[in-house]
Amino acid sequence: MEQVSTSINTASTVQSRRIKHPTWRHLIPYLLIAPTLIFVGLFTIYPTIRTFEQSLYQPGMNVRNERGQRVQQPDTFVGLQNYADLFIPQTPPHPIVGGFLQILSNTIVFAVASVGITLPLSFGMALLMNRAIRGRALWRFSLFYPVLLPLIGGASMWAFLYGNSGGLINTVLRSLNIPTQDWLNTPDLVLWSVIVVNIWKQAGFYMIFYLAGLQSIPKDIYEAAALDGASYFQQLFTITIPLLRRTTLFLLVIASTYAFQTVEQLDVLNKGMPANRANLLLWYIYQMYPSSQARGYVNAISMVLVVILFTFTFINFAFFERRSADE
Amino acid sequence: MNKRNGWSVLADIITVILSLIWVAPLFFALLISIRPTSDPLGTGNIFFGRTITLENYQRALELAPWQWHYLTSILVVVGVLVVQLITITMAGYAFARMKFWGRNALLFILLIQLMIPSGVLVVQNLNIMRQINLFDTRWALMMPYWGSVFGVLLMRQTFREIPPELEEAARIDGANLFQILRFVYIPLSIPTYVAFALVSVSARWNEFLWPAMVTRTAESRPVTTGLSQLFSATEAGTNYGQLMAGTILVVAPLVVLFIFFQRRFIESFASSGLK
Amino acid sequence: MQKLVSRFGLLLVLIGVLCVAPFTQAQSRVQIDFYWASAVEGNLPAIFQGYADQFMAENPNIQINVVYSGSYTQTRETIRAEGFDPVVDVAIMLATDLSTFITDSPIVMLNPFVDAAGGEVFLADFFPAFIANGLDAEGNVWSIPFQRSTPILYYNADLLRENNLDVPKNNEELIAVAQALTTPERAGLLLPIAGTFPIWIYQSFAAAYGRPLVDSGLDTVYFDTPESLAAIEFMTRVGLPIEEGGFGVGPRGGSAWGETPTAFVSGKAAMIYHTTGSLTSILQNVANSENPFEVGVAFLPSGPAGEDGTGYGAPTGGGNLYIFDNESTPKTEAELEAAWQWVMFLSSPEIQSDWGAKTGYIAARYSAWEIEPLASLVVEYPQYAVARDQLEFAVKEFDAYRSVDIQNIINLQLSKIISGEVPLDQAADALAEAQAQIDQLLAPFKGN
Repeated sequence: MEQVSTSINTASTVQSRRIKHPTWRHLIPYLLIAPTLIFVGLFTIYPTIRTFEQSLYQPGMNVRNERGQRVQQPDTFVGLQNYADLFIPQTPPHPIVGGFLQILSNTIVFAVASVGITLPLSFGMALLMNRAIRGRALWRFSLFYPVLLPLIGGASMWAFLYGNSGGLINTVLRSLNIPTQDWLNTPDLVLWSVIVVNIWKQAGFYMIFYLAGLQSIPKDIYEAAALDGASYFQQLFTITIPLLRRTTLFLLVIASTYAFQTVEQLDVLNKGMPANRANLLLWYIYQMYPSSQARGYVNAISMVLVVILFTFTFINFAFFERRSADE
Repeated sequence: MNKRNGWSVLADIITVILSLIWVAPLFFALLISIRPTSDPLGTGNIFFGRTITLENYQRALELAPWQWHYLTSILVVVGVLVVQLITITMAGYAFARMKFWGRNALLFILLIQLMIPSGVLVVQNLNIMRQINLFDTRWALMMPYWGSVFGVLLMRQTFREIPPELEEAARIDGANLFQILRFVYIPLSIPTYVAFALVSVSARWNEFLWPAMVTRTAESRPVTTGLSQLFSATEAGTNYGQLMAGTILVVAPLVVLFIFFQRRFIESFASSGLK
Repeated sequence: MQKLVSRFGLLLVLIGVLCVAPFTQAQSRVQIDFYWASAVEGNLPAIFQGYADQFMAENPNIQINVVYSGSYTQTRETIRAEGFDPVVDVAIMLATDLSTFITDSPIVMLNPFVDAAGGEVFLADFFPAFIANGLDAEGNVWSIPFQRSTPILYYNADLLRENNLDVPKNNEELIAVAQALTTPERAGLLLPIAGTFPIWIYQSFAAAYGRPLVDSGLDTVYFDTPESLAAIEFMTRVGLPIEEGGFGVGPRGGSAWGETPTAFVSGKAAMIYHTTGSLTSILQNVANSENPFEVGVAFLPSGPAGEDGTGYGAPTGGGNLYIFDNESTPKTEAELEAAWQWVMFLSSPEIQSDWGAKTGYIAARYSAWEIEPLASLVVEYPQYAVARDQLEFAVKEFDAYRSVDIQNIINLQLSKIISGEVPLDQAADALAEAQAQIDQLLAPFKGN
């Protein structure tokens, strides 16, 4: 910063320039945001608007005439009919989206269970890793590494563990004479098998955030509490957990949006079957997407997902922002 | 807490058990990847079967043009990260330290990105890429990620914790905005950048769905599509040895990178705005 | 700071150059972009490139650009996402994608080319069961068989011999043999119907019971029939213990597709239903395994005798060759002719024979079996001939308008019954419900 000597001059110039060119200075923040805004606008907001628009239409049928030429019928505007088909049960069930409500409830169970189990587990892991223990880097790495794997690769490792006849878990159970389970093909088990993979994949990631939070708490708070005779668990509940509330809120947003968005693992974990018991909304969309006649529904379900995530994030963020403003 | 009492021993035991459970899938993936196909689990030695072999790796390497896939993945990861670092620094600073009309509204618009599963938008984004003639190029793999709202929030949080007096001092010294960022904000936020880089790099390296749709030639496809080539060869039964060999080929670079820089990464997270 | 900026700049330029670099090629020859999808193992990229090189040597004015396009599903989605102006010129796609492509993509009707190649005489060299999925209800030809398969019964011949059992010829014998060979460590019979894709194996039972799921039209599906119900009950009972009214010969809910051959190879299953596409790898893996045994292959056991009096039946499977046009820049005669040349080359007896021997797919033409390398392979491994001979009784694989939606309906309902989510005594209602959904979807296509 070699301009020290001219600091006074420069300061006054800035002052006068601000008066002369107010518009230019006012533009700076917008210019700084512009690149992000452009990319988000082009690849997130514009496509979302298009998705909403198309969710109000039923696609026209393509047919071939007798000479084999293709004839395209135009899309028809149906208003909110696609949404009504999703949410209002029919007999027989709607031929395309009859399974929607069940899959919506699977998705909610999946997200709530994933987040509800993973976050406390990650917190516990962080507590364990925040102690003096020999070989800490090794233990930490072994808990963290799943984060670095492609989801489909991690899931395929589990597909091998879960295998019914040749899988590792059943091989071990069989050698111990414990009855085996068909982990990926039993209707009441399969969703939980998928949840376990999700927990394994993400816990280490959230652990790092908690670890960072733990290390930022000043040691003297604990020392003072210890002098007052507070036990470890009293300290945990009166100091550590309250002070990490912000971390927890941040992780709630990240973890719940993540839980609603991860489906690639289903590709190797029995594809949402049997009986759709492990099917999740995003996977349902991929299943339906190849059908040209389902385009309206695909977009409508996408919008339902957007609304769910929007609500989640909005509540969390409003709360999170308010708290950080308070502090 | 210094004394090794009963609780502390118990905690050590839990740590070890938990770590073993977490490592088990990788450990057995490695074992399976060096077993010959004809030697499934339950035959021969429980760990090493009757013989060990690298044939799975050899075949996994044969099945896809990996040299192109690795090149593409590296270029995409770097190309995304470099641009992201610039855009998130700029926007992060604006939201952290500047007052302007519509600030909260703009922030909220950007937040939409966090709420929308990118998987939902692939169809529309594919159309965009075709319209701007970037279908089947590496640009198509990078561009949608050049604006990272997660990164913007992260930098905003980090920049806010830097005392404003430092900026004032630099401003009085005559530093312009660029210099302020360069000499005040960026050096003090390196840990956050490192942490963000780790998240960004692993996300792009592991991405599959979008590249599978928007590229088609081997030259512009990343490593995950090579892996999927192995996965789709399942009509004749799943060859776990080969799949695991492929998975390990794909994850090895990231894992090695992480092991080398583990201390740095963890410290970065600890002192970054990620908390 | 300047340095930092210039370093960033340099990096960006470098990336830019590298991103654009690989896309330059000579445009003087006719370009054919060829997508291939395959679901078997082997060094397929090299095999396809070899075919392309051979073809280009014979046709120097045509350039074949070989592109691995992912799994069948990915490939179909890539092509469909390209709408009516696809990049692709020729693709190997599922034979059953025909109805989807007829409505959603500009595939080219092949009648004129087929007529020029000899019409009926040309088609007569292909197995009729393989041609069936390439035709629409009016008999127009839309695709040419390339890599085809069908399910067959694999059995552990050593086990049968040790227990003095004959190879089962019908469903009753199948269960009797399976029950005799079932032990706590070994399943007597594995059906790969768990979860994902029960519809394929289901179709063989439906055909064996005398009412295949579809006939030549694309607008009718026969799911709610007494034969279909009997087929589903049989499949489900294979996985039920005897005390629940089952046969007690396999795991509840069936076995996963990919696990089934592995279980067979390692002796954990005495018999399995699986695709002919697995034959090569099963033979190899058994030969190299700890306890090698003789691998037997037989027709799928028959159900009650149907119209032809045999009760045999199996669907076909696998991929055909399609040619794609482009609606905004329609292909020239020369381009279409070049694409057809490439299709003819890949479906020629010589390539079919080579491809079948290398992968285990069933060569789609009679004449391919009379030339090398397939001719001597069949002598060495008679198992390959069984799959071919069963084709006489094979039926068209499921395809219909709205095929994606209908497949989802059928697979879901099958999965519900097989996994026990819907008990067997309510299966009839489940089929009626699915049929009502299917008919609702097909109503607009009736009488087209």
